[in-house]
Amino acid sequence: MSKPQGRKNKEIRKKEGEVSRRSVLKMGAAAGAATVLSPIILTSKKSSVYGQTGVAEPILCAPTPVPQSPPHTPFLDNLPVPSPAVPQFLFPIPTKNANIGGGEAARDPHQRWEEFTPAVTYQLDLKASTHQFHSEYLPSYGWGFNGKYPGPTILNAYGIPSLVRFKNSLPDPTLSFGTPLTTVHLHNGHTGSESDGFAGDFFGTGLFKDNHYANAYAGIDDFGGFPKGDPREAMHTFWYHDHLMAETANNNYLGTNGVYIVYDQTDPPWEFNTPGSLRLPAYYGLTDFPLVFLRQRFCPTDTVNGRTEKFQVVGAGTPGTDKVCVNGKIQPKLSVRRRKYRFRMVNTGVTAAVSVRLVGPDGAQKPMTVIAVDANFLRHPADVSATTTPAQLDIHVASRFDVVIDFSQFSVGQSAYLAEVGNPQFVSNPPPPDPAPGLPIGNVLMRFDIIGNPIIPDTPPIPDTLVELPPIPAGETYFEWGFRNIAGNNPPGNFRVTHSAIPENDANHDATFLPFDPFRTDHVVLKGTTETWAIRNDTMLGNWLHPVHIHLEEGRIIEKTICNTPNADGCNPANRTPVTMPPWEDGNNARRDVYPTQGQERFVIRLAFRDFVGRYLIHCHNMGHEDAFMMVRWDVVDSVAELRRRREQINAERIARGDTPLYRKEDLG
Amino acid sequence: MQRRKFLTNLGRDKPSTAPRAHVQGVPAAGSPGPSVFTNALLLTHENKQVRFYDDLIRGRQVLITLMYATCEGACPAITLKLLKVYEELKDRMGKDLFLYSMTVKPEEDGPADLKHYAEMHGVYGLPGWTFLTGDPYDMETIRYNLFRMDHIGVDTDIYSHTSFMKIINDSTNRWLHVDPMASMSTVLRKISWADPPKTRQQIMAENKKLQEKIDKERKVYGYRKDA
Repeated sequence: MSKPQGRKNKEIRKKEGEVSRRSVLKMGAAAGAATVLSPIILTSKKSSVYGQTGVAEPILCAPTPVPQSPPHTPFLDNLPVPSPAVPQFLFPIPTKNANIGGGEAARDPHQRWEEFTPAVTYQLDLKASTHQFHSEYLPSYGWGFNGKYPGPTILNAYGIPSLVRFKNSLPDPTLSFGTPLTTVHLHNGHTGSESDGFAGDFFGTGLFKDNHYANAYAGIDDFGGFPKGDPREAMHTFWYHDHLMAETANNNYLGTNGVYIVYDQTDPPWEFNTPGSLRLPAYYGLTDFPLVFLRQRFCPTDTVNGRTEKFQVVGAGTPGTDKVCVNGKIQPKLSVRRRKYRFRMVNTGVTAAVSVRLVGPDGAQKPMTVIAVDANFLRHPADVSATTTPAQLDIHVASRFDVVIDFSQFSVGQSAYLAEVGNPQFVSNPPPPDPAPGLPIGNVLMRFDIIGNPIIPDTPPIPDTLVELPPIPAGETYFEWGFRNIAGNNPPGNFRVTHSAIPENDANHDATFLPFDPFRTDHVVLKGTTETWAIRNDTMLGNWLHPVHIHLEEGRIIEKTICNTPNADGCNPANRTPVTMPPWEDGNNARRDVYPTQGQERFVIRLAFRDFVGRYLIHCHNMGHEDAFMMVRWDVVDSVAELRRRREQINAERIARGDTPLYRKEDLG
Repeated sequence: MQRRKFLTNLGRDKPSTAPRAHVQGVPAAGSPGPSVFTNALLLTHENKQVRFYDDLIRGRQVLITLMYATCEGACPAITLKLLKVYEELKDRMGKDLFLYSMTVKPEEDGPADLKHYAEMHGVYGLPGWTFLTGDPYDMETIRYNLFRMDHIGVDTDIYSHTSFMKIINDSTNRWLHVDPMASMSTVLRKISWADPPKTRQQIMAENKKLQEKIDKERKVYGYRKDA
């Protein structure tokens, strides 16, 4: 009886909030501060319930039998373009030390704060909202930055430091399967650890946290100039996402991610000729599109509650999925003209890879050109076509591929398809006819409609050499990470990471298989040094691909091998045979931050640790695996004495729990 | 008045935009109830018959672990750790927090075996800590429903999830997991995520305390020891 009134009150409150925010732009700073703060003051006076957004919590459908998603008509919706984030003034004003009184989450002070005073600031408010994934669906409950899925795209430039205030306005309690805590990682920003979204640095509803992004190239300490750092270290396509320890999959499945693009002279946001520009398709939303992939499954449409909820069993891992969304729409279409377009593909998972290829109206595979991987330009761009090896682009979770497609190879009125290899999604029963000969509709991710000749003139051909990469780091010391799935009861366990400082020495790996713990450091490196890291996937041959992600620094792959005849506890180095790497893995042509490691494969990479200290992570980015603790904290320290002290401490901890000491005498610094 | 209003909204089928209250002992509106937990008739280590959902889960905050009586691998270490966790939370155990150890080998483990296991590990007779066995089909259903990760290879291996501890609060519909072999502070923090929602004042106070801890650590150790 009184419910409608309550709802009305809330609407009024919401409107007031909006008005005050808008008026900030018109008013002076002081007046603005007062109006922005006033809702906070009001909230704190209220009862214990907060973080309300007026969005009804979901009623999850029955977990068994697992439902089939509602059918949909392909190519009904246009590809949405996530809107760019709008810079805004922040009140309270961002500070170097956490502003605890003002409601900021506890953290270490920002590093290099004075050197990179934020020039652009944003606020992204993480809250519950609804999103329609297909126009034949009703809205689905989810969580998004500023209530949007995908979150707003942050467009930044090297040389202009930024700061993003991530505010947690998630409902607590929630009836969804997410956990209303958050910590936001800019994947793979070169940032101080306090702004890196460390999995243990989560904060609850009502708090905010300022992440400081220097937008400087790595190598700040060694290179002067403007923008600071080594320009060869430029990275462009990032994505930001929730990194809450052990709950990352559920929170990302609810939609807590977005894209972050940093421009520079080489890769500016325009296409006309400016000094140093590669002249790639660059107009965001016109010739340059992010493509954010997310696999999902939906509950049957609930007309009573007006929802088509995402299917998920609370707490029961990630569901088998039967729909793939691109920028939050199922099988969308995009009108293009006969010219080159850039697509920044991000696989947000949450667990499975997306393997794509371009298919023409005749059903034949057409070429597309990979220009960047994991935000880094390839030295030489690489084609993916029917005649290349591989003939498809495997985009593992968290990997980004910037791909240029030249639609001048098609005629006006034709359609081309971004198709997935394997894994057809469910469309309807019976399925619509194949859109192109030999191309099942379920394998199509999206359709490109070629509607005319270009209005914006086409960009020149892609250069044969895009960039010169920085030299491969020397790799002074060696460290090995073993990614294992420990089955059986002795010891029991799951996805674990083991470590050794001695190459291919299984006896030196831990035997206690401890789970991820934000309170335990498993490796310490010295700022300003380089290391050779080996990433071993010690699960069965051909089993469990682990897309391993390393925070802070990009790596260069110098070797990839597979062990074809593993023995019980590892691999005899003599049994390792080299694996041919695609151009987007080879360290002479590419830089990576995600290393897709097949069962019994081993990557040897080189890394330099620069500019920042603190706590960082290495983990499997299959979010189901990282939530099952396949993650490790490693630290960067800035003095040899500290390195020795910390490494001795790790040795002592390992001996105390019955493992071999990790570091040898020569590793102690 | 506001509070009474949202109390009446509890248990409604329709999602409500009204604030949701949390009442310990009352299942959350979205609780999957017996459809996921099952209401199977199980036996405790005291040979008492219990309904899994109605008697053990409904409206409660619970910790659920897997074990089997003849396990000699890491089970003793895990049980020892669980005992330490139990001691940390002693004031709540049996009142608003319950710990259930369920056997993955119900065909071998009868109530007497579970009792023997509890005695052997020095955890017998602790209020709020119950060992459970039952019909193998029921036990397997519960294990699968609660511990599955939708990875067939992992989910069919009964040993695969023995290192998980599920943290479930049926009154807030919160489901979390932690590995009990993680550090005590991590285990306790994860359990607290399923606690009844905190007030803003509580969150602010905890945040302030955390910042004090960070500042102290930086002063004493020079880095985030987090110990």
